[in-house]
Amino acid sequence: MEMTKQTAAAKRVRLPRPGRIVINAVLILCSLIWIYPIVWTIISSFKPQADFFKEQLTLFPATWTLDNYSRVWSKANFAVYFFNSVIVTVFSVLLVLIMTNMAGYVLGRYKFVGRSALMAIFLSSICIPLVSTLIPVYQIVKGMGLLGTRLGLILSGAGGAHVVFLLLFSSYYSTVPNELEEAAKIDGCGFLRTFVKVMMPLSSPISTTVIIMESLWTWNAFQLPLILTLNNPTARTLAVGLYAFKGENTVDWTGICAGGAIAMVPIIVVFIAFQKFFINGMAGAVKG
Amino acid sequence: MAGEARNLKVRIDHVSKVYETRNGPTEALRDVSLDICENEFICVVGPSGCGKSTLLNIIAGLQMPTSGKAYCNDHEITGTGTERGVVFQQYALFPWLTVKKNVMFALNMRGVKGAAAETEALEYLKKVDLEKFANHYPKELSGGMKQRVAIARAYAANPEVLLMDEPFGALDAQTRTQLQSELLETWEKDMKTCFFITHDVDEAILLAQKVIIMSARPGRIKEIVDIDIPYPRNQETKLLPRFMELRNHIWEQVYKEYLEVRK
Ligand SMILES: Nc1ncnc2c1ncn2[C@@H]1O[C@H](COP(=O)(O)OP(=O)(O)O)[C@@H](O)[C@H]1O
Ligand SMILES: [Mg+2]
Repeated sequence: MEMTKQTAAAKRVRLPRPGRIVINAVLILCSLIWIYPIVWTIISSFKPQADFFKEQLTLFPATWTLDNYSRVWSKANFAVYFFNSVIVTVFSVLLVLIMTNMAGYVLGRYKFVGRSALMAIFLSSICIPLVSTLIPVYQIVKGMGLLGTRLGLILSGAGGAHVVFLLLFSSYYSTVPNELEEAAKIDGCGFLRTFVKVMMPLSSPISTTVIIMESLWTWNAFQLPLILTLNNPTARTLAVGLYAFKGENTVDWTGICAGGAIAMVPIIVVFIAFQKFFINGMAGAVKG
Repeated sequence: MAGEARNLKVRIDHVSKVYETRNGPTEALRDVSLDICENEFICVVGPSGCGKSTLLNIIAGLQMPTSGKAYCNDHEITGTGTERGVVFQQYALFPWLTVKKNVMFALNMRGVKGAAAETEALEYLKKVDLEKFANHYPKELSGGMKQRVAIARAYAANPEVLLMDEPFGALDAQTRTQLQSELLETWEKDMKTCFFITHDVDEAILLAQKVIIMSARPGRIKEIVDIDIPYPRNQETKLLPRFMELRNHIWEQVYKEYLEVRK
């Protein structure tokens, strides 16, 4: 651990002092501009509803309140949306992770008839615009009788080929030295045990990437969840709920800000938490 | 034959191996037959690419012969088996597990679990002088230490036959000498059947009762040399006149094959 830190520090490029200050100043300014809308949204969510237009541009309100949250959470159903989002995200991520990990393992490490053809099909599916799959997916989900259900959302979200994840896993697995797999076989592991006990832990950096990207994707997914829950508002996720909230009554701006914060903060937390883990995983598993 | 009286462990019966590659077939082994008896220490030498690893992998059950058969304890080898352990040249440790957990992995697979596995793992690590590094990760160890862990792990699986594929090949000369001595000591004590591949003629003579010289590809057995130097042996054995004689002879044979490859 100590050693990796040192080498990482040694490798970091050191600019001369004045240059460093200028670059840092520019970068800090950029990040402030970038983050301002988010900060504004979160702070506005604590402003009293009546003061919103009065204090529209002030960053720090005169009075702080949690009214917006309680209103949105209970009256506008955000408790339900939040729960839906969590369920849909967790299970979509799990499904996608298991699916792409297993498929990537076989595609990356085994030769079989039709492998290249399969790869080509997966690759070419990248070119299909997502929008063009909306109607077929809608019809499939409808055919399964899962319209307006969380299961329908999970399956439709996890059901794609997730080609990028597949490629990540398969190219990673193709670089794993044979000896690791063989050592497991020698110890008496069969196919499944080799995969679970050796390959899965080995691929944890890729898994983390997939978890981060797929959580972001599912949590923020909008179009598909919107059309799949048109008939049943109680199955909406946060992204859809937030959108619907805007139109329902006279526009409740501070409420939207509170809803936005509820939708934003968990995924940012997940991202930050896993990012750290991701870097550790890289250092631990890639270097042998 | 002299070996007849002893227990036959592994029998290789007219084994050939052809790899199908994109650039046509590669004949790696041609009609190899060999008996490995219990408690025997056999070393294989030969130019690189002559099929030594292929032969070892066939015994390990990681690869199937194209023709001919291999047997262990009179059963045909059709896959890996816990009675056959392997030490690879490198990479065979699980990087996400500590040294102790690496050894425990082999023990768990053998059915030893929990605290029993832990104490046993520490015993095996003690044998290779690494109990202080039990909680380190492989990346924190030197090449020699990693290879010691790999050996401890192979022993922990408690195989009847130990297959080693140039286990010291990636190490510096000093570490290699040290690990040779340790392996020699261990074998003199437990006499575990060993099939050991090396490209180092000195190493082969120092360790083995029989040295098998393989010819350039397609790999065939060119000669089997009995090493009639009594055990216990140590690094000073290398200074004996008989050692020199054997070395000159084997080296000459290997060199001829090496020239064959160059052609
Ligand atoms: N999996 C494989 N596929 C194709 N050719 C192989 C494979 N493994 C080994 N070979 C070829 O077979 C020959 C023998 O290889 P190997 O047994 O590794 O030799 P050695 O261990 O003596 O160096 C080499 O020419 C090598 O290129
Ligand atoms: Mg080899």
